[in-house]
Amino acid sequence: MSLGPSLASKVLASKTLSSWIVPVAQWYANVSGYRKYGLRYDDLIMEENEDVQRAIKRLTPREQYDRAYRFKRASHASVLHAPLDKSQWTTPEQDVRYLSPHIVEVEKEEKERVMWDTALISRRK
Amino acid sequence: MLAARASSRTIQRVARNFATVVESSGVKVAAVDSNQATSSVTFLIKAGSRFEPKAGVAHGLKNFAFKSTAKRTALGTVRESEIYGGVLSASLSREHLALTAEFLRGDEQYFIDVLSSFVTTGRFTRHEFNEYVVPVVEAEIEAANFNPGLRAVEAAHAMAFHNGLGSSLLAVPHSSITHEDIKNFAQSAFTRENIAVLGTGIDQATLSSLVEKSLSKISTSSQLASSPSSYYGGETRLQAHGGPQTIFVGFGATGVPTSELAALAAYLSPTPSIKWSQGTSPISTAIPEGTSVEVVYLPYTDASLFGFLVQGSNGSAIKEASKAAIQALKSASSGLKGDDLKKAVAKAKFAAASAVDSREGLVSMLGSKVLAGQGSSLDSTLSSLDNVSATAFSKATSQLIKAKPVFVAVGDVATLPYVDELGL
Repeated sequence: MSLGPSLASKVLASKTLSSWIVPVAQWYANVSGYRKYGLRYDDLIMEENEDVQRAIKRLTPREQYDRAYRFKRASHASVLHAPLDKSQWTTPEQDVRYLSPHIVEVEKEEKERVMWDTALISRRK
Repeated sequence: MLAARASSRTIQRVARNFATVVESSGVKVAAVDSNQATSSVTFLIKAGSRFEPKAGVAHGLKNFAFKSTAKRTALGTVRESEIYGGVLSASLSREHLALTAEFLRGDEQYFIDVLSSFVTTGRFTRHEFNEYVVPVVEAEIEAANFNPGLRAVEAAHAMAFHNGLGSSLLAVPHSSITHEDIKNFAQSAFTRENIAVLGTGIDQATLSSLVEKSLSKISTSSQLASSPSSYYGGETRLQAHGGPQTIFVGFGATGVPTSELAALAAYLSPTPSIKWSQGTSPISTAIPEGTSVEVVYLPYTDASLFGFLVQGSNGSAIKEASKAAIQALKSASSGLKGDDLKKAVAKAKFAAASAVDSREGLVSMLGSKVLAGQGSSLDSTLSSLDNVSATAFSKATSQLIKAKPVFVAVGDVATLPYVDELGL
């Protein structure tokens, strides 16, 4: 599991919980600093993993290019020991989960493969 | 001898329908049960390459068959079918796409569900297109490149019919088709009146009730259209190496295929009826050692292509063999001697009747008839062959060779003959 456990869907489903937690989450995302380097949250997912590699291959060519560009820009900024210019920061609207749906899909397929590999078949009576 | 035999033929033959065709929820369903141990169900869909809106889409759709649907994933389809011990296959012709499941008796419920869930709820995802479909499409194109006979016939169709029937069964290499193109094509092709369901080894009532249940929600309006075929003809030469030297020389005819041409193909075909013998075809004695002549007769709903596929190791032998074949065709156009016509008709009738014995033959023979709503009996084919007269035969043949020929040379084009060297 390269995504780890998440309660996000449960929180977003409840109006009260999301009105409490979403502002905190936004604050936390801004504080963690990746947005200042022009990255998106899904860029931080560890990619040294077969499932994630397959998910990355499923991105459109445009998404793959943009991802590589963000990495180059961020590592350059890191070399300079300075965040990007504020105009290049990732806005909350741009910070979409572009990769995790693919990872979820790949993991589901892998889980199904394991299920079929270990399925016990009983003869129909 | 033939005259003596003919008397025994007068025994009343029981008119036999191979299958009863019923419409279940608008889909034509035909089933034949001859008590074999396995069953097969074929969804025959009018989605051949002649209907494709963009070159190669039909080829892509064929390879998309049995990928993920709303009901199960591609992996699930494969694994579950393996557990049942069935075989799933898809095949493409110029007019039809056939999705077939072969399985043990009793498993029809599952396999009809596999077929119909692809037809109704196929997902056509981009990643499956890139991961599974494109590699197979490219491998098939690559394999076809090393098959000069296939290349020649493909090029001959393009020369003969340009668009529609002329469009290739294979996608072009590095083609720009996308999963969206395939999805749109599938949506317009998988409609009620475009599908015929043919079953073998399965009870008609069982099949139609299962089909009725599973295809009840399929859309009804078909947007597929193919312009009626017209015949052009022409010459092309394709450089190739590795395989045998190949030429295709032939003629096309528009309109519903006639029995005369089937009889002509049977008359000229140099394939002997007895193994290791030379056969009595006028071509088989005249061709040089080491070359082969194959009569190609491809009937479609509104046109047909007739010709010779000549293969050999060098250009001069091919020239000689194809001259002999053309000579035989020309002399056939001025009428056949003696029992030759009876022989040809008998051979053509046997070919038509024995084709129905195999599952593939049954589907190709009855499929288009069932789709067109013409019933499912072989009798009309056989009786129209019986009615071939000597005058109609020579008229049809001379009509055929009056047209501009299609000529395709595949191989070492410097040594292969040109069309005007063949005595046409």
